Amino acid sequence: MITLKNISFQYKNTDALGRERKTRGLEDLTLSVQKGEFVVLAGDSGCGKTTITRLINGLVPHYYEGDVSGEVSVAGIDVQKADIGVLSAHVGSVFQNPRSQFFNVDTTSEMAFVSENLCVEPDTIRQSILRVVQDMRMENLVNRSIFALSGGEKQKVACASVAVAEPDIMVLDEPSSNLDAAGIEDLKNTLSLWKAKGKTVVIAEHRLYYLTALLDRLIILKNGRIEAQFSGKEVRSMTDEAAYAMGLRSFHKVEIAPSLVDTGAEASEALICRGFAFRYKNTDLTLCFPELRFPRGRITAVIGRNGAGKSTFARLLCGLERRGRGEVSFAGRLWNRKLRSELCYMIMQDVNHQLFTESVLDEVILSMPAAGMNDERESKARGILRQLDLEDLADVHPMALSGGQKQRVAIASGAACESPVLLFDEPTSGLDLNHMRQVADILRMLRGEGKTVIVITHDTELVREVADHVIDFDLETTQTNVLSKGV
Amino acid sequence: MELFSHAKGGYKSVLDPRTKLLMLIAINVAVMGTGFQGTDYFVRVVCAVIPFVLFLLIRKVRTALIYAGVCAVMLFVEGVLIPSTSGILNLVIVITSGAFSRILIGFAFAYYAMCSTTVSEFATAMKRVHIPDQITIPLSVMFRFFPTLSEESRSIRNAMRMRGIRLGGKKGGLLAQMEYRIVPLMMSTLRIGDELSAASLTKGLEAGKPRTHICQIHMTALDWLLILIGLGLLGYMFFLR
Repeated sequence: MITLKNISFQYKNTDALGRERKTRGLEDLTLSVQKGEFVVLAGDSGCGKTTITRLINGLVPHYYEGDVSGEVSVAGIDVQKADIGVLSAHVGSVFQNPRSQFFNVDTTSEMAFVSENLCVEPDTIRQSILRVVQDMRMENLVNRSIFALSGGEKQKVACASVAVAEPDIMVLDEPSSNLDAAGIEDLKNTLSLWKAKGKTVVIAEHRLYYLTALLDRLIILKNGRIEAQFSGKEVRSMTDEAAYAMGLRSFHKVEIAPSLVDTGAEASEALICRGFAFRYKNTDLTLCFPELRFPRGRITAVIGRNGAGKSTFARLLCGLERRGRGEVSFAGRLWNRKLRSELCYMIMQDVNHQLFTESVLDEVILSMPAAGMNDERESKARGILRQLDLEDLADVHPMALSGGQKQRVAIASGAACESPVLLFDEPTSGLDLNHMRQVADILRMLRGEGKTVIVITHDTELVREVADHVIDFDLETTQTNVLSKGV
Repeated sequence: MELFSHAKGGYKSVLDPRTKLLMLIAINVAVMGTGFQGTDYFVRVVCAVIPFVLFLLIRKVRTALIYAGVCAVMLFVEGVLIPSTSGILNLVIVITSGAFSRILIGFAFAYYAMCSTTVSEFATAMKRVHIPDQITIPLSVMFRFFPTLSEESRSIRNAMRMRGIRLGGKKGGLLAQMEYRIVPLMMSTLRIGDELSAASLTKGLEAGKPRTHICQIHMTALDWLLILIGLGLLGYMFFLR
């Protein structure tokens, strides 16, 4: 069904200083996938797994330009010579970011979109949509505004919208990055449906646990080459230690030890949030947190499904939300909403929103209290950068950095503003094992400095790695009128 | 085929996109070009009433009431205050309310059009009147561009507040603060645009290629009524005045 023969590919792009540069995508890679096979591509970031998905759906070389050699054939079509539109009848693609893969603003039009572009009869399209909606049990997601959906729902619509045109091949690029456990469960159901229908599935992914039961072949890539291949049977008999030895995420679902889950009530000193309440705009949905305690100088993980109010809580705690109630006490005093921006600093999930200046050094200095000599501030900023392994990048524009580097810059600016409490919103979404461990190291380093660290996360492996305490929002919060949401 | 009726979804399209386009032009021409006296004033009142009725039809009652309130004040100022004042006071009122009122009605109608039209309805309508894809596709991207922009902008504003950067605050000059706001916004919209183009390509979107449409658009009596009003407005502006 898919044949890649001696493929080498280099991306053409520019480096931080604007010089043209070539980055390796793949090197002399040969791979063939049978009809109906379920193949998982794994490996570090930058190992070439995304590039393989792009070769299959034609984005390489038709959209992402570079030097390509070798042959790619997908469903009998020569990808390099054919028009990319021709491929859309055979290959359905689901991407990582649910915010940027919809052309339409309503779900039904999006589901019809591929078939419409293929000039299928409107009545046939309507029937296909009905069938897919029934198969995936997503009647509640029909005719909705894209902007009113959660990440998991968006990803479900993305899967449905490629399924309507009935392509034989499904290509997914890190589809679980932004999903919680329930969203991943939904995605898994969709994938098993496709497998049962005999679709050929190629999926590039860091999180592997939800794929273990489904996969026919696991391909591990390194530096653009295939390093190892395992059959489904082999993978299912492997332990987590074997996965870690290969630099991969766990093959099994990591459960959080029940002993970690507590309310931090015994801690002598803690950040205490009392009576937090928030009412969502234009709904009757209210969130209430009677009391939450985050032990001082420890790492507390906040878990819970999407919509349990984790992000809302974070915004309330940081004082970003005007419409909420609640009091915060820490270090023997009360902090009102305005003061809380000095108490807490949040490193956002999308760090791109958080970097404003022209150089990494400026970024850190900007966060510092305005008082003090300039030289003093600069040397202190450089000290923080050294700790986070960013010193060499001090003069580079933040937007030219890689995702992980940007995140470290955001952490550095958080460290610079001297807030005693640091909040992390999903710091490891879409990270491979090594980068996840790097984040874990940084969290431990911050704890070592006496910071109170709060991590909002779906990543149970990270929780197992670093958390001293776990607060499960599914247990702690009370929501009223839950049913009114999404109606 | 209940799934394909718009009755239960968030989108209730009352008018045909073609009618909306004509009305958008007609209302803007009329509101921008008329004065505050005689027939001109009557034309302005007619223009002001149209978005109000349409908001009610798509059940945006709150928006309709707020809009009606602001419009009433504005029309009162134009119809009563301006003729009864003189000198500098009159000039100040004419300049401030004039600038505001000329924009408000057109903006309200554009807002109605944006939130009541789906991308595919718009694309279908454009196809019917033989507008080339090279114009239709970028315009349809606008429908998702604005909501995306406001989502992104909200996150950036939060990030700035957390670091104590406010417009007019102590940190950085005003120019620097605006730069902090705009640079990340541009970067993230660029990135989203880039990813969106890639996704659309894999979904077979191509300019100039024929495509089918599942949405059904058709003219209703209300459409014809509004087209008549729209043509009337344009006729008044260009020939009668």
